[in-house]
Amino acid sequence: MITTGSKYFYGVTVLATIAMVLYMLFVNPNDIGAVALGSLASAAALLGGLTSFTRDSTAHSVKEASAAATQPAPAAVWPLIVAVGIVMLVFGLATNPIVFVLGIVALVAGAVEWLVQDYASRASADSEFNSQLRGRLLHPLEFPVGAAVVVGIIAISFSRIMLNISKSAGAVVFIVVSSLVLVLGFLVALKPSMRGRAIGTLCSVGFVALVGAGIVTGISGERAELVEAAEEDHYSHMECGAEADKYFDKHPNNAVSLKSATLATITVRDGKMIATLSGLDAPVEKVTIPASSPVQVLFHNLDSEEHRLVAELGEKKVADTGVKEKSEQCTQLTGEDQVNVLTLNIRKPSIAAGPYKLTVPGLEGQEIEVYVP
Amino acid sequence: MSRHALSARTARRARALAITTMVGASMFLAGCAKDAPQDVFQPKGENAAEINDLQYMVFGIAGVVGVIMTVLFVVTMTKFRDKGQPIPEQSHGKPALEITLTIIPALILSVVGVFTTRTIFNLAETKDTELVINVTGQQWWWEYDYPAQEDWGIDQPIITSGQLVMPADTKVLIRETSRDVIHSYWIPALNGKRDAVPGRIHTLRLQADNPGIYAGQCTEFCGLSHANMRMEAVALSKDDFATWVKNQQAAYKAPAENTLAKEGEAVFLNQCVRCHQVNGLKKADGTAAIAAPDENVYAGAAPNLSKLMSRNTFAGATWDLLKKECRGGVWDAKSEEFGAKYLEGVSADCLNEVDLRRWLRNAPAMKPMYADPTKLEPTDGKYRGMPYLALSEGDIDKLVAYLLTLK
Repeated sequence: MITTGSKYFYGVTVLATIAMVLYMLFVNPNDIGAVALGSLASAAALLGGLTSFTRDSTAHSVKEASAAATQPAPAAVWPLIVAVGIVMLVFGLATNPIVFVLGIVALVAGAVEWLVQDYASRASADSEFNSQLRGRLLHPLEFPVGAAVVVGIIAISFSRIMLNISKSAGAVVFIVVSSLVLVLGFLVALKPSMRGRAIGTLCSVGFVALVGAGIVTGISGERAELVEAAEEDHYSHMECGAEADKYFDKHPNNAVSLKSATLATITVRDGKMIATLSGLDAPVEKVTIPASSPVQVLFHNLDSEEHRLVAELGEKKVADTGVKEKSEQCTQLTGEDQVNVLTLNIRKPSIAAGPYKLTVPGLEGQEIEVYVP
Repeated sequence: MSRHALSARTARRARALAITTMVGASMFLAGCAKDAPQDVFQPKGENAAEINDLQYMVFGIAGVVGVIMTVLFVVTMTKFRDKGQPIPEQSHGKPALEITLTIIPALILSVVGVFTTRTIFNLAETKDTELVINVTGQQWWWEYDYPAQEDWGIDQPIITSGQLVMPADTKVLIRETSRDVIHSYWIPALNGKRDAVPGRIHTLRLQADNPGIYAGQCTEFCGLSHANMRMEAVALSKDDFATWVKNQQAAYKAPAENTLAKEGEAVFLNQCVRCHQVNGLKKADGTAAIAAPDENVYAGAAPNLSKLMSRNTFAGATWDLLKKECRGGVWDAKSEEFGAKYLEGVSADCLNEVDLRRWLRNAPAMKPMYADPTKLEPTDGKYRGMPYLALSEGDIDKLVAYLLTLK
């Protein structure tokens, strides 16, 4: 059955098609206008088909459809959410991008819910059927999104707590929470009668407690050592001397898996630098590296004192100033019997920009020449 | 069935048999080719010999299995073919037969697996390495550099391309990497394949029993000129290798003044030194001429042409620097004479000027670098390979004369 709404769309389809044909005949067959009218005809036909499919399948007669149309719209919170979304969107434009994004999310979610609810509430005169129709359309969207939001809130709240408390307290909290979850799971499995309202209450209380703790610790901020480490600015740290930062140089990368791809190994033992090439047992005084090819040099510190490996790569020009400064690359500080990897990609041969060398600050008078043929 | 139909069917069968026999015979006789430098069944070193032993064993087992299965297949087809007899009794499930048919292949694969694993581990061995050579692949040539190794008189690292020169009867370890895409290094007479992967160092042991040239081919598709990315390993006696090392480290000799070669040096400085390094070459003001391939080539490198005429090939070992008759003299030389022949290098009489001139005239026409000809122009100022330089014939004459001095 073709209802009023679908008639409207089918009418638009016919008119747009006629307009497109006339436009192509009398104006320009290749113009964008013909494309636009064709698109309008296609879109209207699609909407007409959808309207026929949905309204016609739920409203069995014009009379029933008319009766459905006279149903009063149920109370809904969605207009309010749309309004809040618009306010946040505008407010976010002037203040914070996060507020802007949240505004868009609220606007889109509110609009979709409002439109579908309004459509479903007028689908028939049977309110129970209308409610089922709404659920059929929106539950596949609402449940995954809702679950993702809940998981996100739990993750953010938990992370705020863990970043606020000390490392040892964090371990305790983690063990306690995971144990509680495990015990709860066992109880549910052993006593099926516990399912239902009791479980829901427990989960709700746990959720509220977690979110509350997350808000409190989030406001309180991260623990002191994390704040200090962030202030050290890891990524702009370019010094390759004997200095040792409190946090930046900790936990060097024990990249053992990279050993198979290393070109050379520099070992510090009893205060001496020793260079070996992969495949050759005897130490060498010079390491040869192909130009324009990224290679790994392994640094292995066997001394009790912490060391770093530094590659002195000549000089480089500071952009647009003409001023030259030393070009260096280095590993982090490497503790006793720890390894670190230095990736070098030297584009100019030694005769052009060399000499290049590897040094270890603190081991004066020692260096390994890097030769780039 | 009429007599006519029968004779037609017989003729069809005879034709099919003749074609099958001819194809089979061709394939069989192809194995007798003499000029097959990449024959995997002719190992010239202990690593390749180990692979050869394994493949003979595997092919032997596979051959026996193949013959048994073929005989069974043919017997079954002929004995039990449909002659109008009644369908025999059908049965399902013969545990004894099924277990036997599972155990036999498992046993065969286990035996093959044990020997294969042993071979893999033996080939991966890097102990007792006597000489290390870095091998770097890029589109579409191989660079070889020899780190300083006092035992071999290499006090300054050596760099070359196209031909890997190594001492015979020596455990040589090549350490491969790549500057652009994945390539694969394979000289069948000396060992199996090993991929050259950007950012990684892979090792491969090469060892040649006797002096000689051993041909190879990149075996990982790496772009349009993948087929033109060849390699040759040149094995010299230890004394000859020492001579080669000494020559590679010898100082640059500038061409005499007022010669064509000297004019060629000027052309080289104007055109070629943007990418190609010749160690020791100086500009007119006396400063060192330094190539900047990192600014002009995608891979960041171009072949170092120092001592070019000590090699026998150019452009990724795809074309010979030696004329055919001179090349034969080197390739076919007896083992004890090979070193002396190779160390002669390329003389003016033996230079394959035809191909060298063609290359200088229009390199991309000889070695395709882009499927799309519009990309022959540099992109972001960088070329994929040797570009078309629009050299005049006069400049080519001068360059050929100059390149001949790089020995």
